[in-house]
Amino acid sequence: MAFSNGYVFGFATVVCVVCSVALSGVSLSLRDRQELNRERDLHKNILGALGLPEDGSELDGPKIDELWEKRVQQRFITPDNKKAGKELDQDGDGDLDQDDVDIARKNAGDGAPEVLSVYVRIDGDSVGAIAMPLNGKGLWGPISGYLALDPSASTVMGATFSAPKETPGLGAEIQEPKFVDQWTGKKLQKGSGPAPIRVVKGQSELLCPGNVDQCVDGVSGATITSRGVDEMVATAVQHYDAYLKNPKGAF
Amino acid sequence: MSSPATEIQQERAPLMPFGKKERQNIIDPLSDNNPITVQVLGICSALAVTIQMNRALVMAAAVIAVVCASNVLISLIRNLIPPSIRIIVQLAVIASLVIVVDQILQAFLYDISKQLSVFVGLIITNCIIMGRAEAFAMANPPWQSFLDGLGNGLGYGIILLIVAFFREILGSGSLFGFRVIPQALYDLGYVNNGLMVLAPGAFILLGLMIWAQRTWTGFEEES
Repeated sequence: MAFSNGYVFGFATVVCVVCSVALSGVSLSLRDRQELNRERDLHKNILGALGLPEDGSELDGPKIDELWEKRVQQRFITPDNKKAGKELDQDGDGDLDQDDVDIARKNAGDGAPEVLSVYVRIDGDSVGAIAMPLNGKGLWGPISGYLALDPSASTVMGATFSAPKETPGLGAEIQEPKFVDQWTGKKLQKGSGPAPIRVVKGQSELLCPGNVDQCVDGVSGATITSRGVDEMVATAVQHYDAYLKNPKGAF
Repeated sequence: MSSPATEIQQERAPLMPFGKKERQNIIDPLSDNNPITVQVLGICSALAVTIQMNRALVMAAAVIAVVCASNVLISLIRNLIPPSIRIIVQLAVIASLVIVVDQILQAFLYDISKQLSVFVGLIITNCIIMGRAEAFAMANPPWQSFLDGLGNGLGYGIILLIVAFFREILGSGSLFGFRVIPQALYDLGYVNNGLMVLAPGAFILLGLMIWAQRTWTGFEEES
């Protein structure tokens, strides 16, 4: 049976339309669940970096939400370490939330955003730990993470990184314990001021003599992603400089 | 590729849904015509997702779902597809199915979908699926095509699970993430084999399996 050109074009069009309608339907109907999963995964990582739950057990589903609600607060500050108020609202919905922080970061380009935020772990009445967000560029796409700091913002208590676009086995290794666990105990301070922790090639003991507290090993075969982490930490330290000097200042 | 595309003539509504030919459709690809060990297709993912049993299991399930569904869909429209654009139509159907599977994994099995990362999307390029669509589903009715897809999916899955079994137990000392090699053995000086965690370990295992399986079935490469 021979097919006319018209039929071929018609058939191709029908296949395209049917496939795209089906995919849109699936994507729409599953989007809420997927977003909830992503949010929980992020919360779980931040909780982990902040040392929660204390017994180190694995949480899933609603238990993550419960612990998050109870123990973690997001705080908004300005680059000069004042409490950020509603006047800094970026998207016009009347209050400050993560969206405003994201918009401020986009608007700022290379400079410091108008609004910054940190997550803090609440221990009774006081702050037990601080999670400072990191945002940067990997090889293939954006990378991000959180550095959890002690209440004086000088020592790293934990870290978490997310590299969804990086190559599995190479750049994506920055998400694995082998890289992440190195950060615990490092100092985000040099002399009396805040200073970034550097990601270096090779053994950090050899490359940072006398300064091991401020170096971590990069990932072999992932030079650009490792450099991205290095820059992302440096940028965050620069933007949060005032806050890191006096984390109790605004609150 | 040696395909049974022409062997099975179109039958009128099969009275026996599990006749000899239908059984052959499922059993053949499990061993005698296994897509991995005999046809040497789908090697990339067989190397990549076999570090742990649960990853291999989910990957196998995803491939089985995609190859069955794509075979049935393509078989249903096989007489409508213009031969000049048949490959791209097959690809469109397969790609759509893979995206659906990926979305479902992200919604219901988020952790495993994160571990499988790009390899779910890469099912699109798995030659087994295209191969079955082109070689079988284009020439056979839906029921046989479904069985053929199931057989090939299972054939792929079995090899994946066997490779993953050895890689996880030798490389990490666990199965499905649960420790099976007792601590006492480690105390005596036993160490996990790091090679098994890396891709070369999978290559070696796969090579041994292909050797063993071909010796057993007496399959020889046409020269």
